[in-house]
Amino acid sequence: MRRRGVFPLILLAVVTLVLSSSGAADFAFPLQVNSVRLAVIGDMGTGKQPQIEVGQQMVKARATFPFEFVITLGDNLYTGSQPSDFEKDFAVPYKALLDAGVQFYAVLGNHDKTNERFYKPFNMNGANYYTYRKGRVHFFALDSNYMDPKQVAWLESQLRAAGNGDWKVCYFHHALYSSAKFHGPAMDLRKVLEPLFVTYGVDVVFAGHDHVYERIHPQQGVYYFTEGASGSLRAGNLRPSAITAKGFDSDRSFMMIEIAGDDLYFQTTSRTGVVVDSGVIHRTIRPVSEGVAHQSESRRGQAPVKGPEPNRRGFGGVPN
Amino acid sequence: MRTKCWIRCQGVTGLVALSLCVVAPRMLAGLGAAPGKAQADDAAGFTEFSARVQAYLRLQRTVESSLPALKPTDLPEMITAHQEALARKIQEARPKAKEGDIFTPAVREAFRHASQAALGGPRSASSRAYMQPGAPNPRMRLEVNSLYPDTEPVTAIPPELLAAYPPLPVEVAYRVVGRTLVLLDVKSRLLVDVARLILPPPS
Repeated sequence: MRRRGVFPLILLAVVTLVLSSSGAADFAFPLQVNSVRLAVIGDMGTGKQPQIEVGQQMVKARATFPFEFVITLGDNLYTGSQPSDFEKDFAVPYKALLDAGVQFYAVLGNHDKTNERFYKPFNMNGANYYTYRKGRVHFFALDSNYMDPKQVAWLESQLRAAGNGDWKVCYFHHALYSSAKFHGPAMDLRKVLEPLFVTYGVDVVFAGHDHVYERIHPQQGVYYFTEGASGSLRAGNLRPSAITAKGFDSDRSFMMIEIAGDDLYFQTTSRTGVVVDSGVIHRTIRPVSEGVAHQSESRRGQAPVKGPEPNRRGFGGVPN
Repeated sequence: MRTKCWIRCQGVTGLVALSLCVVAPRMLAGLGAAPGKAQADDAAGFTEFSARVQAYLRLQRTVESSLPALKPTDLPEMITAHQEALARKIQEARPKAKEGDIFTPAVREAFRHASQAALGGPRSASSRAYMQPGAPNPRMRLEVNSLYPDTEPVTAIPPELLAAYPPLPVEVAYRVVGRTLVLLDVKSRLLVDVARLILPPPS
């Protein structure tokens, strides 16, 4: 029994080592025509200098990687809901991006006020949760503060309606997997959302809440990222565990993503412009796994196993 | 007149259906034996709650209809102005609002039982871990018809707990502060009612 438990760990370590061997120097965004390009920020709305510096770094990065929109993972405004808070925590730090026509698509964090959904630059259109499509990618923006049965039913119907051919990306505030000490994983939320993600073939999930960056080894075929350090930071809060593929908790950061065909390229950059993680996720369309609950509804099966999948190209991350 | 009456009938039917949806699964769980008195009391408590929430919403909607509609805007001052005006008008419309207007003793009991069933026992630890770090100050001032403080975060409520409570229309939401359950008007950010010691203590 004990030997059976040890083997996957060894395999995990070996696979991680192999995949980590391609460093940042090998990584480049393909900048393909018609690809979907975005940036990811979370827990950013402090209105303080580090957030402004991340904003400046995003502008700099956009000169070579012209992302078209930004998804925010919540805690968009920490300081309050007065007009000056919208200005200080959002409009000023991202002024250059907003002026350049970059769209933001926000979700609510536990520090946000529900009325933020009426703020046009957040593109929430008055809704706490919503979905939209960019190219061949469906985005599902959720309210993890309030995952009531109505929202769960809505998500399931939207995931089902999205079909199987396109990418499915979910994002919300509370991370289902996290190795950070302060919050850690939202287990109650995981119980409700993970079965839907697996059943309907969600490819990638972004969350914040913990003020660190962490990339998680795929869990049941789903890739998870935490980016909760685009303004706030809990330095040294990460406790890398067996699920951690890469972590960064010594400075603020943001992510850039390009989705081209069946490949998702990602790069995580620090406030000072250092690339702290990068890689490619290759999406494979596989036959439905037998014996997995509800999988028959999804043509795009995800292997119901934990840890990296050897038949996926996986990550080319920078070693810790 | 006829239309009004039909709408009212529809509303009542909906209310009864809503309450049955919430209570029926719990009653079915006890099949084999006649539903106990406690279950029937909880069902009645939730029906009463839903009726009181609907009554509040009638007032809230009337008040809001007197204001320019809040639509997505580039101007945060429009959002703030709407929220403040709505809050002020609701406060004026319910000058005598007090704790227990909606969370009556029977309603509180129903919520207490539902909370205990959802959060008690071995599930408690993971739910607390989900709710507590970054939660609002449990000693924050909670007064009916006052504003939820701008500087306090909100507690993420476990999905299991939300599933155990009666569903709410979009205008209002549950909030949890320590062991207290709050009914919040989300647009005005007013505390519609407050029920203390509803959630089970940490085990």
